[in-house]
Amino acid sequence: MAGRRALKAVLIDLSGTLHIEDTAEKEIFTSLSAARSLVERKQLRPLLLLEDSALEDFTGIDTSEPNAVVIGLSPDHFNYQTLDQAFRMVLEGAPLIAIHKARYYKRADGLALGPGPFVAGLEFAADCRATVVGKPEKRFFTQALSDLGCSPTEAVMIGDDARDDVGGAQNAGMLGILVRTGKYREGDEDKINPPPHLTCDSFPEAVAHILKKLL
Amino acid sequence: MADTDWPGCGKSLKGVILDMCGVLYDSGEGGGVAIPGSIEAVKKLKASDLQLRFCTNETQLNREAFVDKLKRLGFDISVSEVFSPAPAAVAVLKERGFRPHLLVYDGLLPEFDSVDKTNPNCVVIGDAAEKFTYQNLNEAFRVLIGLEKPVLFSLGGGRYYKEGDGLALDVGAYMKALEYACDLKAEVVGKPSPTFFQSVLNDMGLQPHEALMIGDDLVNDVGGAQNCGMKGVQVRTGKYRPSDERHSTVTADGTVDDLAQAVDMILKQRH
Repeated sequence: MAGRRALKAVLIDLSGTLHIEDTAEKEIFTSLSAARSLVERKQLRPLLLLEDSALEDFTGIDTSEPNAVVIGLSPDHFNYQTLDQAFRMVLEGAPLIAIHKARYYKRADGLALGPGPFVAGLEFAADCRATVVGKPEKRFFTQALSDLGCSPTEAVMIGDDARDDVGGAQNAGMLGILVRTGKYREGDEDKINPPPHLTCDSFPEAVAHILKKLL
Repeated sequence: MADTDWPGCGKSLKGVILDMCGVLYDSGEGGGVAIPGSIEAVKKLKASDLQLRFCTNETQLNREAFVDKLKRLGFDISVSEVFSPAPAAVAVLKERGFRPHLLVYDGLLPEFDSVDKTNPNCVVIGDAAEKFTYQNLNEAFRVLIGLEKPVLFSLGGGRYYKEGDGLALDVGAYMKALEYACDLKAEVVGKPSPTFFQSVLNDMGLQPHEALMIGDDLVNDVGGAQNCGMKGVQVRTGKYRPSDERHSTVTADGTVDDLAQAVDMILKQRH
């Protein structure tokens, strides 16, 4: 562990780690506002495939005659009609911006498809690459940390998604702790390389470990 | 060797395989509309000494209903000449002991009547159109994620097709979605699977180099056929896009305006 400084920050995934959601997964504020900044910077007029609660983050953005597609977790919009509309736009060159590409998440009634599969489908059909704003993009983690004023080597991420939470964080230079709650399924810890710094049963155990071993 | 290139190869051909949607007709309101010149082109091929088969990834209708639709449009065509993914999939399912959870258009369900669908151990996905709801996709996803060895069969793997006056997502997009969600690779039954093309060639009793495929889908029709050793010609109807002629991996042996032109060029070589 040469080169690690004292721990200064802990990033915590919300849905599936702290609690199990039965409504749309709430995104960490940073990735929605990062998506908004991107849209503003490039002066895009987005077709927003987002849950109502996420739409609030885009108030004031012009969405008439859309020339870009912004896609987050949005079961209401993931039907063939809206996806066809998004596809036609992207095929003609409209940028495809994904809030994140989670494969699935845990709902009260079981596992449910995240936005990732639909983004992957559009990428395949239109032969394009989406710009992913949230996890597991490195920039997402580094931006969150820069807001906190610390470097990746001073931070730990706790999450239930081996690839997007833990893998993404570790790729950005942080330590990652995988919790066996939420969408976690047996064997997930073997899906990333390097493996999680720690895999434990739940958030309280993760915190105990941090307090005991990492401070 | 001019005779082995298009259109010279028309002289030594023994059989022609036609894609259907985008070559014979365009999908759309009221069942679709015949592409100008295609009905006549099929007649000319049948009147020639060339063998003829139709090869489609159409999976919204069972074969009988599909052929009826084309007959109503004016085409001379019969079920025994048509190769589609559903019957091929049924054969695979039975052969390998798979019981499917089906995510397919209602019109296709009759093709699966003889298949045991209890206690599914795989998912079969076709062009389900408006049945591609979040709920139905989620259900299919849950079946897969709950299996120790998840298996997904996709009836075709196309990216899009022409529908009305625009393009619509084909089964391939939804196949990719489930592949990504479950971290698996689907098995494609239908174009461009070599097994599928081979079954058509076997039925015709021809070697690949004796047959020509004509289609609107550069990758799945033309590329798929070339992959098997056949020649492949693309038509500029259906889902064709100008960028197809600058594709990074597939180069058609020939590109023609439509089926009528392709057939005229072939038959001219044989006189």
